[in-house]
Amino acid sequence: MGETAPDRPASVELTFDAASHSVDAIQRAAYRFSDRVSCELVSGDVEHRCVLTAFGDVDLDAQIADFRTEVLDQVLRERIRAETEPIRTMILAQAFSKTGVVDPRNAS
Amino acid sequence: MITLRGRSAAFELDAPLTRAVWMLVDRDTLTPQRHGRAFLVNEEEPPDGFALYFVADPECAPVGKPWIALPPLLRYLVAGDVVSASETGEYVRVLWRHKSPINSVLLTERCDHYCVMCSQPPKEREDAWLLDNARELIRLLPSSTAGIGFTGGEPTIYGDRLIELLRLCSNLLPDADVHVLSNGRRFADFGFASAWARVGNPRMMVGIPIYGAEPTLHDYVVQAEGAFDETVQGIVNLGEVRARTEIRVVIHKQTAPALPEIAEFIARNLPFVEQVALMGLEMVGFARANMDEVWIDPVDYRTELAEAVSLLARRGVKTMIYNHQLCLIDRELWPFTVRSISDWKNEYHPECAKCSVIERCGGFFFSAKYRHSDHIAAIPSGSARRRDVLPV
Amino acid sequence: MSRFRQLESFRPDTAQWELLPFRFERLNGRVLVTNMVGEHVTLAAEEFNELAEKRLPVDSPLVRRLRAKHLIRQPGDRSPSTLLALKSRTRYRRLAESTGLHIFVVSLRCEHSCPYCQVSRQSSDKERYDMSLETAERGLDMTFRSPSSAIKIEFQGGEPLLNFGLIEEIVRRAEQRNRNEGRNLGFVIATNLALLTDEVLEFCARHNVHISTSLDGPADLHNKNRPRPGRNSWELAVEGICRAREALGVERVSALMTTTKASLDRVREIVDCYLELGLHGIFLRPLSPYGFAIKTKSYSAYDAERWLDFYRDGLAYILELNRRGVPMTEYLSSVILTKMLTNREPGYVDLTSPAGIGIGAIVYNYDGSVYASDEGRMLAEMGDETFRLGHLATDTYEEILTSEALLTPLEESFAPSAPMCSDCAFEPFCGSDPVYHYATSGDFLGRKPESDFCRRNMAIFKHLLDLYESDPSARSTFLSWAGR
Repeated sequence: MGETAPDRPASVELTFDAASHSVDAIQRAAYRFSDRVSCELVSGDVEHRCVLTAFGDVDLDAQIADFRTEVLDQVLRERIRAETEPIRTMILAQAFSKTGVVDPRNAS
Repeated sequence: MITLRGRSAAFELDAPLTRAVWMLVDRDTLTPQRHGRAFLVNEEEPPDGFALYFVADPECAPVGKPWIALPPLLRYLVAGDVVSASETGEYVRVLWRHKSPINSVLLTERCDHYCVMCSQPPKEREDAWLLDNARELIRLLPSSTAGIGFTGGEPTIYGDRLIELLRLCSNLLPDADVHVLSNGRRFADFGFASAWARVGNPRMMVGIPIYGAEPTLHDYVVQAEGAFDETVQGIVNLGEVRARTEIRVVIHKQTAPALPEIAEFIARNLPFVEQVALMGLEMVGFARANMDEVWIDPVDYRTELAEAVSLLARRGVKTMIYNHQLCLIDRELWPFTVRSISDWKNEYHPECAKCSVIERCGGFFFSAKYRHSDHIAAIPSGSARRRDVLPV
Repeated sequence: MSRFRQLESFRPDTAQWELLPFRFERLNGRVLVTNMVGEHVTLAAEEFNELAEKRLPVDSPLVRRLRAKHLIRQPGDRSPSTLLALKSRTRYRRLAESTGLHIFVVSLRCEHSCPYCQVSRQSSDKERYDMSLETAERGLDMTFRSPSSAIKIEFQGGEPLLNFGLIEEIVRRAEQRNRNEGRNLGFVIATNLALLTDEVLEFCARHNVHISTSLDGPADLHNKNRPRPGRNSWELAVEGICRAREALGVERVSALMTTTKASLDRVREIVDCYLELGLHGIFLRPLSPYGFAIKTKSYSAYDAERWLDFYRDGLAYILELNRRGVPMTEYLSSVILTKMLTNREPGYVDLTSPAGIGIGAIVYNYDGSVYASDEGRMLAEMGDETFRLGHLATDTYEEILTSEALLTPLEESFAPSAPMCSDCAFEPFCGSDPVYHYATSGDFLGRKPESDFCRRNMAIFKHLLDLYESDPSARSTFLSWAGR
């Protein structure tokens, strides 16, 4: 009787250009922030939409800029991973190969 | 400063010499052995039977025997020393000084590097006779010989012939610590590194210089593109075959600022080497010619040197400091210093006469007369604690 | 001289830099970058952008730093990949050396009743709570099946000295077997020292058995954590430490502290207590969230942020001592510093990836059950058998080490493939702790954004890196600890 509806938690929608931001990058960023905000992600061809909802008394505005930076960092990490995957695989293969790290075939 | 070669004062041979390398013998060291021995005359009636006689004063030359009067500056030679003489007798070069604690045998003056501070500037000409002389020298030395060094130029230029020489040395001089200097690049060929290890001499070690933590600086110092990459590969291969390896870093104006980075690189990438030697510059050869590019007063890199030693030694890499006067480096580094300047190069500054640690300090290269620190200062007695001067 | 080329001519021909694998984290406006094997640089934000966008020149101090740390290379370079492979192989070498630590729980009986203790029975029923000789023999069979060249057998309990007879037997039989095996064999007894007789000390001296005990700090703190009839746990521990050091030598006696809420404001007193006893190493341990600790709510009192203050203050004090010439090592930091500053893996089972369960350590319980770790055993005592790998009487070595109970947590918790961990620049310094995450969040991997394990470790890494870079005297001390 006369009860007011409980305050709905603060929420904001962020959009990311689909061409330059992969869903994976946004998800990884969301995972890092998952102790502070929840993220509902809707992917699209032109843009991805991400609704951030703050937990408890987390200040949502303060999180937005950091979240955007984190998404960009994840996009960068994705690029670095892709670029360095072949050399990384080669190095680990060399590290664990039975012939040892030095290739005895490098004998003249 | 001792001279190592010269022109004979006079000589009289009945025929060209059939061998180049001779060990000197006198009355006190006389044995029935004649092969490869030359008699050092200092009396009236030298014994018969020697193929060659050396004399200090041409007036005392033995009659009726083939003789060479030593170059005036080589008159310090004594029995047990080994020399090479030119075929005609005109030139004499000292190969081995019996009394010296450290003898280095020059194998070649050819080199594929051209270090800006090189103390033995390379020469292009064919000089394999130096290798031949080295072989003969090893055959003459007593089997109890305690140590021998091989230098160049770049000794690995000889490839398999160097390996053979080292095997000979290992067999004939089993008690000798053998120290070979090389730029290490040949060892990037794993086959060569394996052959090296197969000499199987536990007393053999190779000393290889590194002058940068990355290619640009190192390649510049040695004046050869691709040197760093190959040298590092070589050191890795030597580690793989468990060959004893030392890394040397000559500290000069170009390398001093990068010394901590170099130390970190070695500690992290090449920690398996037996030791790291941080070396002071010898002001001869190209170092003298390039003085403006390479001279730096050691007090100006005290901090970098201390940092480099810390980065290496605390993580378990054996570290030594060579060719630095004690007054120029931090006292806490004294335990890492080694009296390494071989005796014929030792000189002292007037300031040193009053110094309480002169016995422990390595002094200077003779070449320091061309340039040395402005900060040489005697350490007052009583100010050095006993543990400051404990040897490594 | 005209024959000498200038430095400029030895620069790369083009600025076509190739990236080598690296990870990064932004810290206070700067960026930490780590390579595949944990070598690190801290860059200004703009420097990092140059690297990330590959706008690097052919030569600059930054370029030389990045190249030396194997973060970039020129297309023709061979040595960076060779060296990274060599360093990687060194870091993972311990995997071939499984299992190094074998824990024998020789008795569950104990006469203390410490509130945070996970196991222990106050009982004199030896039949029920002591390990049998038969079980011990089977434990030794398993122990020597491990390929590791170094084997450490640790006796735990309850209070293991309550079954000292079995300890003697196990040591003798292990030595006997080792005559054919030639392993580097070591023993340690983890005891509260209350029962340390001359007979025990003589045996330890003769067989090179080490003693490890608990010392939580000054008397009131220690006794509060460790109630004992007679209330004199601390006096007995101190006396025992002194006697053990005199009988066995200082290298063979070590003390571990346990942190409780009561410890958190008193770190300097605790360090002083260790110093007064001549102990020159201390392990500033977080409180584990297991066993009686959860039951009796002493874990809920535990505050991650307060523990970090405790750690940072303790470390600052210890560094100050080192500056004054008093040698003192902080072991938690030293484990991490080894991972940061060398290629060696110190093998501390709570901070490795793959996790140390089974691979680094294994537990043979008094009743013959085999557990993946000490904490796994403690969970079992509380009714959760998730980390029980099998039983000595019924399962073979192969069955135990390839059991689902072991492989699943190993695989699921593997950090390099875990969310957030796989991107994390600190990953080379860190580890998986599947038992911790299972106990606190219900799955082996945990959710790192919420994990106190993650938060705590990150704070420690940042703190150590900051000190290393900004404080030369701390750097010297850290290098010495890493090189131990």
